[in-house]
Amino acid sequence: MADISKFALLKTLFWFRKMKLNLFGVKSNSLFKKTLAIFGLMLTPIFLLAADDVVAPPTEFNPMAWDWSSILILVLAILIILVIARSFDIGSLTEKITGKTIVSWNNVNAWAGIIFLVVGLIGVWYEMKIHGKYLKLGDSASAHGETLDSMFYWTFGFTFFVFVVTEILLFYFMFKYKYDKNRKAAYFFHNNKLEIIWTIVPAIVLTFLVLRGFSTWTKITTDIDKNSEEIEVFAYQFGWKARYSGDDKQLGTANFNFISGTNPLGVAEDSAVSSLVNELNGEIKKLEIIKASIEDSSKLWKAQYDRYVSTGMSNSYPEEFKQMKSKYNDLISGAYERQLEKDIKRKNTAIKRIAAYQKDHETFNGTAKDDKITTEIVLVKNKPYIFKYRARDVIHSAYMPEFRAQMNCVPGMPTSFAFTPIKTTEEARASKNDPEFDFYLYCNKICGAAHYNMKIKITVVGSEAEYKTWLATQTPFVAPPAAPAAPTSPKADSTAVKQGTVVKN
Amino acid sequence: MSTAALHAEHDSHHHDHKESFISKYVFSMDHKMISRQFLITGIIMGLVGMGMSLLFRLQLAWPDEQFGILETLLGKWGKDGKIDPNFYMGLVTIHGTIMVFYVLTAGLSGTFSNLLIPLQLGARDMASPFMNMLSYWFFFLSSAVLLTSIFVETGPASAGWTVYPPLSALEKAVPGSGLGMTLWLVAIALFIVSSLLGGINYISTVLNMRTKGMSMNRMPLTIWAFFFTAILGVLSFPVLLGAALFLIFDRSFGTSFYLSDIYLEGVGALENIGGSPVLYQHLFWFLGHPEVYIILMPALGITSEVISTNARKPIFGYTAMIISLMGISILSFIVWGHHMFITGMNPFLGSVFMILTLIIAVPSAVKAFNYLATLWRGNLRFTPAMLFSIGLVSFFISGGLTGIYLGNAAMDIQLHDSYFVVAHFHLVMGSAAIFGMFAGIYHWFPKMFGKMMNNTLGYFHFWFTFISAYLVFFPMHFMGLAGVPRRYYQFTLVKEFDVWMDVNKLITIAAIMGGMAQVFFLWNFFYSIFKGKKATQNPWESNTLEWTTPVEGIHGNWPGEIPTVYRGPHEYSRPDRESDFFPQHLPDETAPVTAPQEGEQTAPTEVVPQETVESSVFFAAIKRVLGLS
Repeated sequence: MADISKFALLKTLFWFRKMKLNLFGVKSNSLFKKTLAIFGLMLTPIFLLAADDVVAPPTEFNPMAWDWSSILILVLAILIILVIARSFDIGSLTEKITGKTIVSWNNVNAWAGIIFLVVGLIGVWYEMKIHGKYLKLGDSASAHGETLDSMFYWTFGFTFFVFVVTEILLFYFMFKYKYDKNRKAAYFFHNNKLEIIWTIVPAIVLTFLVLRGFSTWTKITTDIDKNSEEIEVFAYQFGWKARYSGDDKQLGTANFNFISGTNPLGVAEDSAVSSLVNELNGEIKKLEIIKASIEDSSKLWKAQYDRYVSTGMSNSYPEEFKQMKSKYNDLISGAYERQLEKDIKRKNTAIKRIAAYQKDHETFNGTAKDDKITTEIVLVKNKPYIFKYRARDVIHSAYMPEFRAQMNCVPGMPTSFAFTPIKTTEEARASKNDPEFDFYLYCNKICGAAHYNMKIKITVVGSEAEYKTWLATQTPFVAPPAAPAAPTSPKADSTAVKQGTVVKN
Repeated sequence: MSTAALHAEHDSHHHDHKESFISKYVFSMDHKMISRQFLITGIIMGLVGMGMSLLFRLQLAWPDEQFGILETLLGKWGKDGKIDPNFYMGLVTIHGTIMVFYVLTAGLSGTFSNLLIPLQLGARDMASPFMNMLSYWFFFLSSAVLLTSIFVETGPASAGWTVYPPLSALEKAVPGSGLGMTLWLVAIALFIVSSLLGGINYISTVLNMRTKGMSMNRMPLTIWAFFFTAILGVLSFPVLLGAALFLIFDRSFGTSFYLSDIYLEGVGALENIGGSPVLYQHLFWFLGHPEVYIILMPALGITSEVISTNARKPIFGYTAMIISLMGISILSFIVWGHHMFITGMNPFLGSVFMILTLIIAVPSAVKAFNYLATLWRGNLRFTPAMLFSIGLVSFFISGGLTGIYLGNAAMDIQLHDSYFVVAHFHLVMGSAAIFGMFAGIYHWFPKMFGKMMNNTLGYFHFWFTFISAYLVFFPMHFMGLAGVPRRYYQFTLVKEFDVWMDVNKLITIAAIMGGMAQVFFLWNFFYSIFKGKKATQNPWESNTLEWTTPVEGIHGNWPGEIPTVYRGPHEYSRPDRESDFFPQHLPDETAPVTAPQEGEQTAPTEVVPQETVESSVFFAAIKRVLGLS
């Protein structure tokens, strides 16, 4: 690193020296020098920053291991293409010599356009025929999805008509008006009547589509049944969890500060939060011990470092030495200590925030205890639902293509989407003729390495009874005490909670 | 050309020094050289971006296959011949960034604005050649930094080209959000500086440096497009700089602009509170939407010029074209919310954005119809540039129409972030803009390098690229309608998406074919620069001023006086003239002889004032407001 920066500095100085000698041939133009200096200064830190972190090339330069057959095929294909192209050139050369036209490129291109048009339209038709069955149209599993599909059909009708007509016109004109040296093109600049027509007609069609879209959108987003059941859907890297309210029909509050290994959704429940505070205090203590012994450990690392250098192990184990060196550097430069301080501060902040919440009886109102956290979603046909979305770390998007539903899950901004399933899983299986079919909720916003496999199964059942049976198999967040006594006040809650076990998830 | 004559002609801002290698080819202040620098850098970046897309297409088509070549190419990111999921996302991100910013913004607008604004308006150079040079070198620096970021140990930025926080802000959430993301932000900041330096230059040149008789309403449509593009860029890029700056602060200095309520596995609850990730999206798309028009409009401008020239016919509805461009430009600033319908924003706001978005379809439709009407009853010469322009019109229609689906908030619930979106924008702004760029390269290659490109190779290049682009992007509509999400590393784990594997293979094969087709272009381009046939003065028999300059492309553009302009740029096939074109700089000699045919307008015969005339009070007012007069 030091070598590189020294080199860069010398190089820059060298350039400055050179500039004085007017090598650029621009006399008295100090702007050049200033520009160069600015660029030099800007470049240096960026590349130095990057240079320290550049990936080592593949360990060995071993052409034997390369995929030579692929490379060869690639090169051959390119060569063949070029040869074909050049052969046409030879054609044009003979044209020049003999004076006869062999290839009239104007005709070739005009015909190619027509062929492209015909084959292309057949291709569009073929595509619709073979892939039409996979399209999720007219097959919506939710109530609002049907209005959305009809919106689609209207739009499709208009646009497909315009698409076919204009593309045909384009390639037809290309064919019809190809160059002819005996003809002269028409000379006109505009045509008011025509222009008014093709401004007004799209405007009318779009007005229709806008009004329809407006009413569909407004209905989907604002026309929500007051009796809808709320289910919380929680997104995290990389998975989903659902939370159903328990017997009290009320989802308990939740907060990201309460999230812990045993409380993955961060619901406001006394015992889980208290144990989190204890956990955090313990971690802080550990970190402080490490911080106190930092001087001793740097001595140890220094001894280790010296041993590596003196015995020549730094050369024989470069990877280990590199790792050790960076740790040692962190210790020496104080970066490690700063990181520890940061961690301690962050954990203290968390404890303070939790303490503030704990005083608030609206947050800790005891409704979270009986909430059920599940790893699949079960819905009842024809029952209205509101999905309440929360995200733990980054933005996710809850995408349910079968239900025509999608909403982003944004950290710090709860969102929701309301819909009513109108098809059970069994019905969908029957209509799709696929006994293994299942509804899924996918992630549809880029969120990290396993984004492509972040999904949760949705089962739609036909009756409330089936749903109740399933829900009964799910454990509540805090298992109720063996005694059937129902606690009434928050204080009684906390005592009851202490006996209960926290569900591990 | 004698030095004395040059000196007499242009005043103080050009030097008649002998240029050294560095001042001529490296730190050049000549707009033609800068445009070449932009073009070649853009082509190189384009190759990198395209190569990346082929890599991840391989992964999507054959997720279980092992390709030895990948390990050779990618080292630790291609262990056992398979792309690492984190690197896959890095590829997607850098592919998007390179294509959107480095190829289609700087490569397209930078190349052709620089080349054509002075040449078509009759100016010696840009308003500020020095700023122009800076613009390129900031762009170069930015490209270098972005390419460097691919090689850092933790991988390049991998939160998608839109780099939404918190994913892009938290190193622990994805490894690419470490140093890779820092370098991405540095690169984008430098890019914005470059783009602003360029944009201000383009605007001032267009407003101030037109030759005699070149009133605003005689400017070729290319210049109008570049002009509006530059205005969009100057107004919207600073907002992105703001967004990037806040992100830098959040990442490095512990602020909470975009972060709130976050718990990270292995770290615990973060201290950040009160920020909003959605704020970033608002700021980003306030640039992001104008950005797609920054990409598309220069391509449309180039197409207008190329189609008119090669159809030997005036462009249909010149004024309508300008008004459409203006309408699109203004509307593009108030529709950004249609990228965010499902972020949980107020549904009423969604409705407003939906209405405004669908209004854009009207000026866009007018443009498409105008192109068709220009072709109608023309006399079409199929040069490669013309073919690429026709291809652009085709993509503009088929990609533009799907915008009506996505702009509709209700349908966006289902289609958002699906392959339908991928198909839509790759057709309408990806393929269409790239085709506009190719049209521009084939058409103005003689002006840039003084050589001709080979037409035959051009035809091959066009048809292979055109067919493969449709094969790649058209089936994606169907995948999107079936609810297949974008940016997935592989589809075999979900049965619903696995049925599309054969389509994925078709797409990849078509993409490889499209990639190979670029060999025609690269060969043609670089071979022709050195060994191409020498160009004639006006190879396409075009009307515009750039074809009156010497083929060699001298410093100061015209050896003698700058020609005066007497009429609009699209007077092709005038009935009163024998030849089918009438260059802008030739004075009217005679009144029209033949009587105009029915339904056709008479040629304008009014006497053209010799002095520069402001086209209207409106532009004079703009100039006064900007302090440019």
